[in-house]
Amino acid sequence: MDEVTQSIAQAPLPTPKTLRSRTSVPHQLMRFVAFNFKMLKMVRKGNH
Amino acid sequence: MARVVILGAGISGHTAALHLRRQLKGEHQVTVVSPNANWNWIPSNIWVGIGKMTTKQVTFPLAPIYKRKGIDHIQAKAVAIRPEGDANSSKGLVDIVYTDPSCAGTTAQVDYDFLIVATGPKLNFAATPGLGPDGNSLSVCTPGHAEQASAAFDAVVYALREGRRQTLVIGVGHGTCTCEGAAFEYTFNVDHELRERGVRDLADVIYLSNEYDLGDFGVGGMTFAQNGFETSSKLWTESLFRERGVRAVLRAHVERVDDGVLHYELLDGTKDSLAFDFAMLLPPFRGADILAFDRGGTEITAELFAPSGFLKVDADYEQKPFEEWTAEDWPKTYQCPRFSNVFGVGIAFAPPHAISQPRKSPNGTVISPAPPRTGMPSGVMGRVVARSIADRINKGASAPLGTASMAAMGAACIASAGMGMRKGTAAAMTMYPIVPDLKRFPRSGRDVYETSGEIGLGAHWTKLMLHYLFLYKAKARLGWQLIPE
Repeated sequence: MDEVTQSIAQAPLPTPKTLRSRTSVPHQLMRFVAFNFKMLKMVRKGNH
Repeated sequence: MARVVILGAGISGHTAALHLRRQLKGEHQVTVVSPNANWNWIPSNIWVGIGKMTTKQVTFPLAPIYKRKGIDHIQAKAVAIRPEGDANSSKGLVDIVYTDPSCAGTTAQVDYDFLIVATGPKLNFAATPGLGPDGNSLSVCTPGHAEQASAAFDAVVYALREGRRQTLVIGVGHGTCTCEGAAFEYTFNVDHELRERGVRDLADVIYLSNEYDLGDFGVGGMTFAQNGFETSSKLWTESLFRERGVRAVLRAHVERVDDGVLHYELLDGTKDSLAFDFAMLLPPFRGADILAFDRGGTEITAELFAPSGFLKVDADYEQKPFEEWTAEDWPKTYQCPRFSNVFGVGIAFAPPHAISQPRKSPNGTVISPAPPRTGMPSGVMGRVVARSIADRINKGASAPLGTASMAAMGAACIASAGMGMRKGTAAAMTMYPIVPDLKRFPRSGRDVYETSGEIGLGAHWTKLMLHYLFLYKAKARLGWQLIPE
């Protein structure tokens, strides 16, 4: 097994709870708002 | 009266044109020279490439928008610039060749007071024999390429349904490519679509890249603060590859693409081949190959453009080792040092160096990503340079120039990993700053709290929202200027 394949094989897998949270509409609505807020902050920081 | 000429109508050029028109009085002219009749929201080409969107959904004609806004539109390709003019004119000139079907091939000259070079990249498929839609691989760089990729993808799905195992290779087709994020995005859209169509089990999906590690994305990787720990984009990306069962070939330079087989060299100098049924490999980029001449007609291309064809701006181009690179090397105003009325924005400006560590194989082959400078930073550069020029026209030649260094601005990158309002997903990343600044952030060069990565349905909604938002903005509809770049 090459180094890259070995490294991928050792990467952590998401737990069932994490996988559920990635598709949970209420949770993702909160993440959507949070991420967009973060993006806006980023835009403001780079605004010259 | 002043005339501003913009070469290119991509994200940075089109943004600059709209802002200039807004900031300049009607007596001044804004002219866009672009070989294409349509504007294309390139990030959504990924969805055209899997048949989830059509060309019409990611493009629109530029002419009606420019007519409504009072911007002159010349459908032509710039082939040379004469910043000092010629024997008959002391104004700067651009030599153009029309691509407009009504007068295709006709040559002309356009004069300017200010020039913005925003030509984007030349897709350099020729750098790798057999690479590209005219050779033996596919691309999603243009809507036309993406439609071809979609048709080929359908053929792969048909074969899988017949029970034939298929190998799909997605990545970059040269050791010096950039835009690994787009290849990553297409890989996971293909994976998602194969699952949706119920044929993933017989498909081998392989990501082939020039990155040293997964998660490099041409920005040297990222460090995030997550759940109380600092984690790397490498680990985060590897986790997604493991979860989705996608294999990776990294540190690779594709040497040649034959019909159904590609040949590559690895960073350790070894060479190998990979048979494929479907290969979407992005090309390396170079500048638009515009020549430059002085007033007497002597060629001065090398003074204005880097060997890569990109315009030299106010960056520090001194060759120095990786350890001596600093954030200060990166340009701030995008002004050409030799001609103060010429600017280069978006992909068209020559970066001082890469962001990822440069590496060579024992055979001397460069295998490391070029720096990405698309999307958000390109739009910001277009807006800032438009304001600088408008200020110089409105307030006089001493008006200060605006700045937009990639070492002082952040970026968000949302890599779709599957389409659908309930089943879609995306990997959303933010980084601040784009170019690491070890003076301000000694640990990783970036703010670990502003740099983040997350995967989920919400990120897909953001990607979809940006698709509609940026198309709305590019169409210059009511309130377009309120939508940030």
